Amino acid sequence: MKRYGEHRIPGRLFVVEGIDGSGKSTQLMLLHQWLKAEGYGVVFSEWNSSPLVKDTTKRGKKKQLLTPATFSLIHATDFSDRTERNIIPLLKAGAVVLCDRYIYTAFARDASRGMAPEWIRELYAFAVKPTVAFYFRVPLEIAMKRINDARAGFKFYEAGMDLGLSADPDESFRLFQGRILEEYEKMIPEFGLTVIDATLPIETQQQEMRLMVLAKLTQAKQLRVAP
Amino acid sequence: MKESYGVQLPGLELDDLVGKLIVLEGTDGVGRSTQIRLLKEWLEQQGHAVLDTGLSRSGLVGKSIKRAKVGHTLGRITLSLFYATDFADRLENEIVPALRAGFVVLTDRYIYSLMARSMVRGLDPAWVRNIHRFAPKPDAVFYLRIGVDELIPRAVFARGFDYWESGMDLYSTEDMYDSFRKYQTALLDQFDQLAEEFHFKVIDARPEPREIFEQLKAGIDRILAPPPAKAITVPGEGSGAVEELVVELEESAEERRKRA
Repeated sequence: MKRYGEHRIPGRLFVVEGIDGSGKSTQLMLLHQWLKAEGYGVVFSEWNSSPLVKDTTKRGKKKQLLTPATFSLIHATDFSDRTERNIIPLLKAGAVVLCDRYIYTAFARDASRGMAPEWIRELYAFAVKPTVAFYFRVPLEIAMKRINDARAGFKFYEAGMDLGLSADPDESFRLFQGRILEEYEKMIPEFGLTVIDATLPIETQQQEMRLMVLAKLTQAKQLRVAP
Repeated sequence: MKESYGVQLPGLELDDLVGKLIVLEGTDGVGRSTQIRLLKEWLEQQGHAVLDTGLSRSGLVGKSIKRAKVGHTLGRITLSLFYATDFADRLENEIVPALRAGFVVLTDRYIYSLMARSMVRGLDPAWVRNIHRFAPKPDAVFYLRIGVDELIPRAVFARGFDYWESGMDLYSTEDMYDSFRKYQTALLDQFDQLAEEFHFKVIDARPEPREIFEQLKAGIDRILAPPPAKAITVPGEGSGAVEELVVELEESAEERRKRA
């Protein structure tokens, strides 16, 4: 079993992190479009999407069966399935892999639910270290406004309602995501996350991202495929 | 009264657990379930409430594991984590509540089987130990030990070779016999190491089930406190309800005879 930082594979792995409403998914989608147009072999992998584990996670969330421990472990199982069957083989084949959320999401959420931080880090020790991990930093109020504009209300686990912080979903979301923001801030130096100011115009953020990604791709010309 | 192997789960207090946690470990086909059945009956006769439980039976993921295993599509890290999730679910919803209520929890396998399987599949021993560190330390672990030569006839003649018990995911080029032999040998090596590290009480699994049962009973007797004396009803000092019932039954039997 190779540990974080020990994998030597020709592909490139770019991940985006940040709280809901930080705009990270939009930025990753734009990056994806650009890489495709540039002719790179690029594959997109979403958090919580392993076909094997997804049903269990969905059922657990719907019926509110998950505790902090099983929430943590079921997401690690999902991530492991994607890593073993998808991310590692693709990277070995030389692909550019894009992940919307990565292990740092688990570190932030699980620690906010009271799980021991060292335990969670060791749990995910099998993960491939990303080429660049982008962190979209945004103040809580702006993120909440973006979410409220886009859809009605927060989901149960997203608002940390399982923790009983507040009976009001808005207030619970604020408290829970506030904790998550603190966890992200701690991880910036710990994991060398690349901070993007998510309050800047979308185009400016994307420009920054593309420059940084490009710098990592020039050393890997063989990744280019015919468009 | 209990403690974990070093990691405390949020909201899961272990220090107020009054029940006893008794583990039966051993490889596939060694006779664990027979012993669990006998022990449960014996303990209940002694006046202990018993919860018997085992691997991949959780409400959350038990079925998903079985489904995924049918397709043989699980990676080795994923398989380990799936089992750990299942274990955590059973621990929180079944084992800990039962221990809190004062039950004797008899578990058919525990984290040690999970660790042995993962390590045989080449996973990092430190990583494997870490993911199971939230488990409470049992009051006793009885390890039913058998050699691979004694195990093979039991496995083959009793139930045939099973894909996973033969480690076919590891040695898929070999036939089931060679694979079973290799896999179970590696597994037994792991168990022997774990037996030392976690202080298992080793029981020779070759004799007749009755003989093993006697050894287990003796081992468990030492762990359990004697049942409270006042729970025993002395004949003649009862409420009289039983005598009344007997009279009623005799009367109705008499009536039936008359009608016939």
